[in-house]
Amino acid sequence: MTVQAVQSRSATSARAAVLAYIVVSGLVLLLMMLLGLTMRLAQAQWISIQPDFFYVIMTMHGAGMVGIAGLSGAAVMWYFVRRHVPVSTAVFVANLVFFLIGAVLILGSGFIGGFAAAWTFLFPLPAHSGELWSVNAAASYMVGLLFVGVGFLLLHLDIARGILSVYGGLGAALGVKQAFGLAPEDEGPPAAVTASTMVLIINILGILLGAAVLVVSLVNLYVPSFTFNALAAKNMIYFFGHVFINATIYMAVIAVYEILPVFTHRKWKTNRAFYFAWVLSTVMVLTVYPHHLLMDFAMPTWALIAGQIISWLSGLPVLLVTAFGALTNVYRSGIKWTVASGLVFVGVAGWAIGVIPAIADGTIEVNSFMHNTQWVPGHFHTYLLLGMVAMFFGFMTYLVPRTTGALLPFGFWLYLVGGSVFVLCFLAAGSVSVPRRYAVHLPEWLPYDRVASIGATLAVLGALILVLNFVIGLPSAMREEAEA
Amino acid sequence: MVQEVVWGVSIVLMGTLAAVFAWVAIGANVALADYGPIIASAYRLRTWLFGLAIIVLIGTNYYTLGKLPYVSRMSAPTSAKAAQPVEAVAEQWSWSIKPDAFRVGETAEFHVASKDVNHGFALYDPDMRIVAQTQAMPGYINVLRYTFNEPGVYRVLCLEYCGVAHHEMTAEIKVSTH
Ligand SMILES: [Cu+2]
Repeated sequence: MTVQAVQSRSATSARAAVLAYIVVSGLVLLLMMLLGLTMRLAQAQWISIQPDFFYVIMTMHGAGMVGIAGLSGAAVMWYFVRRHVPVSTAVFVANLVFFLIGAVLILGSGFIGGFAAAWTFLFPLPAHSGELWSVNAAASYMVGLLFVGVGFLLLHLDIARGILSVYGGLGAALGVKQAFGLAPEDEGPPAAVTASTMVLIINILGILLGAAVLVVSLVNLYVPSFTFNALAAKNMIYFFGHVFINATIYMAVIAVYEILPVFTHRKWKTNRAFYFAWVLSTVMVLTVYPHHLLMDFAMPTWALIAGQIISWLSGLPVLLVTAFGALTNVYRSGIKWTVASGLVFVGVAGWAIGVIPAIADGTIEVNSFMHNTQWVPGHFHTYLLLGMVAMFFGFMTYLVPRTTGALLPFGFWLYLVGGSVFVLCFLAAGSVSVPRRYAVHLPEWLPYDRVASIGATLAVLGALILVLNFVIGLPSAMREEAEA
Repeated sequence: MVQEVVWGVSIVLMGTLAAVFAWVAIGANVALADYGPIIASAYRLRTWLFGLAIIVLIGTNYYTLGKLPYVSRMSAPTSAKAAQPVEAVAEQWSWSIKPDAFRVGETAEFHVASKDVNHGFALYDPDMRIVAQTQAMPGYINVLRYTFNEPGVYRVLCLEYCGVAHHEMTAEIKVSTH
């Protein structure tokens, strides 16, 4: 075989792997959305399920969504970063395999073992089930999470290897010199490389801490006399959870940098502000997590105050570089709106808009009234459902555009309108103190649940159309790839 | 109330941002040939917005950090009346709150603890709005102070997921006028 033949064959298998990621992500996203809808319908008292089953669904929805957001983000990141650095398709596929093994263990822990300690598995809850789930079910969940973590760790290490082989150091790949004006900004790394570098720095640290607390909790399950400080466990879990879910957005945003310019015919200019924002975000995403613990009065007060201030600060790079960059790129560009470019644009908007209620809740005084109310799922569903997932759906539709014809834009609008209604109901309910994670709601809370259920139904239908469009277009996309 | 202010401000800001995105999206069909001047004026605007954001950031943080709910770090109570100590102990899936009756104007100092897993101690006023909260965590006692200004039945709800009867974990506190 010639060198070209080998290269093109490896490109084909790489693309096939990305498409496999997207199929799995799309289908699991749909399934997890259906679990979410089930919870809202149950709270609205339009369907009836037992509380123990509600909390199983809640646990699966939380863990599943975080995981699948990671997987779909990884598809975006890997697709674009491999244009610049050598990465291994085998490792990429291995991550998918690890993910699927982990998913089976997690789903089994919930739907067979009845495990329902929420995705947060806050120590020592997994061992205190009230006879509802066994030690083995809890262990299955934790080992499942470990599998997912190991897969992502391998993937990040492989991307790190590729990045180091081209750029020599993580600082150079992040654009640290450009950020501080020590090197010309037009010699900086591409946006996809900068974002991937940031993601691997934060996620490797996050996964290691997550794995540590998982192992400790696992030992506690089988050796109850081995205990651990509950506050330390909470710190580690929220550090890991915060980093991982944020990383999914930072992975998906690469789709914005790469796809919007294709439609606007304007280059996405990486400049000093861009690199500076990413360097700053790398530090802040690692230090902002105490804002999850603002109601843990036992925490050192300085850490909580820092958590508030960094929450406010960390919104700035996001809003001012990515959102402003997207607006500038699109402004009077003559763009022909397609569902793909529209979704990516909505993704930036949803992300930026979701930052507002997030910053509000990151304020200690506000947190006293909003913590663990539906305000919390309200803000993160805004920047995940209408932000991160919209970016991913945009990427998906970019790879396989219009196969379902007029149905596709209809799906886009259903998703956008339904999703907006849905997240606003969460926020409104949070502002009237409706708690989150309640299987049963008081009568006065039902109107919020019912309108939210309608919004969620529309959003799920929209997502169904977007994913179907991809699945239907997949064979011809593969064929074109083979012929090209 | 804090909730109403936050909801109002958030909706206005979120709506404004959404409107800006919609405005740019709708106007984007018509092309301006030259991208250079757009970038230049966008960057100027960005610098101004950055400055504005910093001012808002400093102002809001200065204002809100002036009144933290962390009792143990507070200086001695400013009011002449001493706070009434209250033991609030969480256990799957109930509260033990002693005492649980107060008069209007009295300040309760809740010493919140947990016997088993993490719980959340949220105080709801008679209109079912949260007026104060803290976490109940095994191994720690969190101190939360609240002055009852309205008579009626207050409720304590658990706001940290703690297992299958989490939503049933409530208690009542009666506040009388005299
Ligand atoms: Cu609870």
